[in-house]
Amino acid sequence: MELRRRGAIYLYFLQAIPMVMTIDRAHCLYLTRGVCRICEKVCTREAIDFEQTDIEIDLNVGAIIVTVGFDPFDPTSLSEFGYKRLRNVMTALEYERLICATGPTGGQLIRLSDRKPVKKIAFIQCVGSRDVKNNPYCSTVCCMHAAKEALLAREHDPNVQSYVFSMDVRAHGKGFQQYIARGEEEYGIRYVRGRVAKISENLEGNPIIGYEETFGSIVEKMEVDLAVLATSFVPRPDTKDLAAVLGVELDQYGFFKTAHLAPFNSTRKGIFVCGCCREPVDIPESVAQASGAAAKAAEIVTGDQP
Amino acid sequence: MMEEAKIGVFVCRCGTNIGGYLDVPALVNYSKGLPNVVCAQENLYTCSEAGLNEIKEAIIDHQLNRVIVASCTPRTHEPLFRNTCKEAGLNPYLFEFVNIRDQCSWVHMHETEKATEKAKDLIRMGVARAKLLEPQEEIEVDVVPSALVIGGGIAGMTCALSLADRGFEVTLVEREEKLGGMLRKLYKLYSAQTDASQLIEAKIGEIEKHRNIEVLTSATVTEVKGFYGNYDVTIRQERKNVPFRVGVIVVAIGAEEFKPVGMYGYDGIQIVTQLELEEMLKEDRVKAHSIVMIQCVGARDEKRSYCAKVCCTTALNNAMIISERNPKAQIFMLYRDLQTYGTIYEDLYKKAREKGIIFVKYSPQNPPIVDKGMVKVFDEFLGEELRLPYELVVLSTPMVAHPDSGELAKILKVPIDEYGFFLEAHVKLRPLDFATDGVYVCGSAHWPVTVDESIVQGYGAASRASIPMSRRRVVSEPIVSFVDEESCIGCGLCEMICPFKAIQIEETPKGKIAQTIVASCKGCGTCGAACPQKAITMRHFKDEQMLAEIVALMERK
Amino acid sequence: MSDQESFEPHILGFLCNWCSYAGADLAGVSRFQYPTNLRVIRVMCSGRVDPALVLDALIWGIDGIVILGCHPGDCHYLTGNYYTERRMRTLQTVLDMIGVKPERLIVDWVSASEGERFANLIGDFTEKIVELGPLTDDLPPEELRTRLLAARDALSQQRMRWLVNREKELLEKGDVFGEQVDEAEFHEVKFEALAREYEKNRILHSISDQVLSVQEIAKTTAIPPREVLKNLIAMEQKGLVTVSRIDGVNPKYRRLGGGESL
Repeated sequence: MELRRRGAIYLYFLQAIPMVMTIDRAHCLYLTRGVCRICEKVCTREAIDFEQTDIEIDLNVGAIIVTVGFDPFDPTSLSEFGYKRLRNVMTALEYERLICATGPTGGQLIRLSDRKPVKKIAFIQCVGSRDVKNNPYCSTVCCMHAAKEALLAREHDPNVQSYVFSMDVRAHGKGFQQYIARGEEEYGIRYVRGRVAKISENLEGNPIIGYEETFGSIVEKMEVDLAVLATSFVPRPDTKDLAAVLGVELDQYGFFKTAHLAPFNSTRKGIFVCGCCREPVDIPESVAQASGAAAKAAEIVTGDQP
Repeated sequence: MMEEAKIGVFVCRCGTNIGGYLDVPALVNYSKGLPNVVCAQENLYTCSEAGLNEIKEAIIDHQLNRVIVASCTPRTHEPLFRNTCKEAGLNPYLFEFVNIRDQCSWVHMHETEKATEKAKDLIRMGVARAKLLEPQEEIEVDVVPSALVIGGGIAGMTCALSLADRGFEVTLVEREEKLGGMLRKLYKLYSAQTDASQLIEAKIGEIEKHRNIEVLTSATVTEVKGFYGNYDVTIRQERKNVPFRVGVIVVAIGAEEFKPVGMYGYDGIQIVTQLELEEMLKEDRVKAHSIVMIQCVGARDEKRSYCAKVCCTTALNNAMIISERNPKAQIFMLYRDLQTYGTIYEDLYKKAREKGIIFVKYSPQNPPIVDKGMVKVFDEFLGEELRLPYELVVLSTPMVAHPDSGELAKILKVPIDEYGFFLEAHVKLRPLDFATDGVYVCGSAHWPVTVDESIVQGYGAASRASIPMSRRRVVSEPIVSFVDEESCIGCGLCEMICPFKAIQIEETPKGKIAQTIVASCKGCGTCGAACPQKAITMRHFKDEQMLAEIVALMERK
Repeated sequence: MSDQESFEPHILGFLCNWCSYAGADLAGVSRFQYPTNLRVIRVMCSGRVDPALVLDALIWGIDGIVILGCHPGDCHYLTGNYYTERRMRTLQTVLDMIGVKPERLIVDWVSASEGERFANLIGDFTEKIVELGPLTDDLPPEELRTRLLAARDALSQQRMRWLVNREKELLEKGDVFGEQVDEAEFHEVKFEALAREYEKNRILHSISDQVLSVQEIAKTTAIPPREVLKNLIAMEQKGLVTVSRIDGVNPKYRRLGGGESL
């Protein structure tokens, strides 16, 4: 995620499965310039094999389940938010890495630009979502992850103040409303109803949030230490190719198309879809869908249809 | 004599969840100094593959015969760590869990020093108990390859059909006279505007001709006995009891619409609920031109603090149907936050705005007032009060738990939440399971869901329920009672108090002696706590093991 | 009463796996904060908790004990929590009888969804115990220990176990003749038996590691000499005590076998 430097041979992340090192093709000295091979020499298990090439595997299967997930939307194109241009604007996923114990700061809530502790955060919702110019749909999970991230900030440092800039707060799952309410009451999270028009920064690198409060249509400015963009969920770039290979259709947004009242069925028999490659969903819904898709596949593979 | 305990202690940082609030290095150091501890270390995540491998390596390198993990909670992670021990050749019951996250770091987030002391105590207690742990042989039982699905709504019907298609026998129980549940009251289903009645008829048709499904209508579950893989169920149907045995049980009893009696002038005629509106639409009785819909009626308030998820999209769909039938209709929708999540619902919202439906945001501090012929509402965007004349007011009320949920929860011994919805084993990772093995949940019994989501969960629960049935055998915990024949005097107290008839006095050459029926014993330990001779041992929860924890906690204080 | 500011009570919880332990976990997941004093022993069912073990915990110096099960009717094992309730109520009576504040033991129900309630309950109980002060505020340490040991042995005794554990059935279903047993009458009988059993064990413990005369026993135990003598004669016949020596006209007794067992 470009938050810190890593070697050209690395572990994807600490809880990765399988737990093996990966060689970064684009940066490996041997693969790019034909020199080095140090890793090969130091690996006591002789697990480095530079001769490995892509192989094609032929499988004969009764059913296929597509679970390729999504990508977070890249907000660079939305210049008003200043992502990549301003020093202390990051995406929610980057923020999650920042506060994670295995992240670039070992879980400390500090700015990467100047290692200054973060005391005031703006969470900007619907970045690229519910936006006719980009992705008209709602990405479903951002309201809740913003609340969680703001809560975590408070847990890292009880003096952190978080502001969430959103249109609607969508908290419709089990216990979600109560979670939002606790965030407001006990963790001091403030919700600002309105669209953020522009983010700029001052000399110290503090983002200045320019927003229009919907209650009263006043343009306001707020200086914060960090701005976190809740970017929308978008189909992975290779979705189109995969759909072509599978011979299935995509919907108007580029997600896999599924049938009304048959939510796992792609447009081709025996190919099922679940998770965020069909529509943005949260974890429990993904898990439920995964079980359901497995049932659909099992009906074909081990079924006993009369 | 048991061989000397060699204990390995693994303290998990759980990222910052534990590491951020407890002094983990101090805990590791402390553990090293405890009796019988031969190695102690910390992991960033003990449950990661790396962490698990370190446990396995330590078992081999240090010849550990006891393993302790101090981390989250045994309720979610004990199976994983037990399995790791098993893979390294250690009996899984020689593993001990110490809960320093859910019951320590997370509940004492501002008291690092005291919480660390508490964690030390807990680890010391765990070590004392681990020393006395004994290997146990797991008990395998056969699974009856048939399922009970409780509730014949869309979730239950979907689940029953999927299981039946897989070749499992299914008994589908419905308390009403006909299958269909909430679907019977619905009109058109978004997004394809399918008639709900069509969907019901299609499903019922499939169910009726399916040789693997038996349907019992006008029937309720009155008793469930037995255990994982072998549940003895009694159904009450028309004044007779129907007993049968199943391997697994799926709860799909759905939910009901909240009736807003005494709110906003609700009268069921001119001021109706969203569900009553669907009934009117079905019968083409909606003649009103000016309609006001009010969202969050009886929801997100003091009594019911939750958002019931489906009311916004239901209201939108009904508003669209009305405006398509009667383009002159003027529809206002008064809302707080519009819950049109995902792709198709947000699209519906967009279309509704294009269609001319007017959205007015109100705040709970300033709720709308329904007067005679006029709804007054303070528009949060405009900052002024609007007066909206109406011929029809539609109140969107939340789904509330089915009135049977409490009773059924007691029969099945599964939990419900404060609102009466069934409580799953894990909110994220096991949304369709109960903590009790072999019992599953789907549809609005768990939380309000749309028809599509009910179908997803119906299949999902079918998938979960099919796992033990496909395996044919399941392992049940060997935490059962064991009678010491030497000290038992055959007094029969245990037999009298056992709720499962799992311990019985038998005539033996040594006289009358109590004997455990392992397959029936569920391991509560009520007999063990009563035995006048202390002749009953509860495996894995022995008196000595618990006393050792107390002694370890207090002896140095 | 000791200094409340610095008193950090030792609080032990027995939590059942299915409801209250899950509720305690939920308190964590939801980050409901409560005092750090609680140490938890997980049991499959609150019915596993033997009143004798609770007394052991007090003997070891625990200041407050909380036993949490599933709500009535919700017990994963059908009736375990009903037994717990009756057993612990009896135990509270015993504590009261021997001079230990019965509020040091509470039995309550917490479901898997009651995280906040769990945190509040532990908070309130901890506060209550801080208010009560250390266990040794109730009685001087040696006296406390002997009394608790005697109470534990009394409750471990066969007849008491029958009475305590048949209580539920006798009061709910009636006796072997199907006759409903009067609750007040039953408790009276039970309490009387408990008192007598405790008295016996109290005497036994007083001569566990010393030889004493009837008068001396009466003095240490505060039991009337007539009762002491009656008990000693009965116990002598059962081979539990013996006359160790005679000082002048006063026989001195000591306990046979057993003795202190921890």
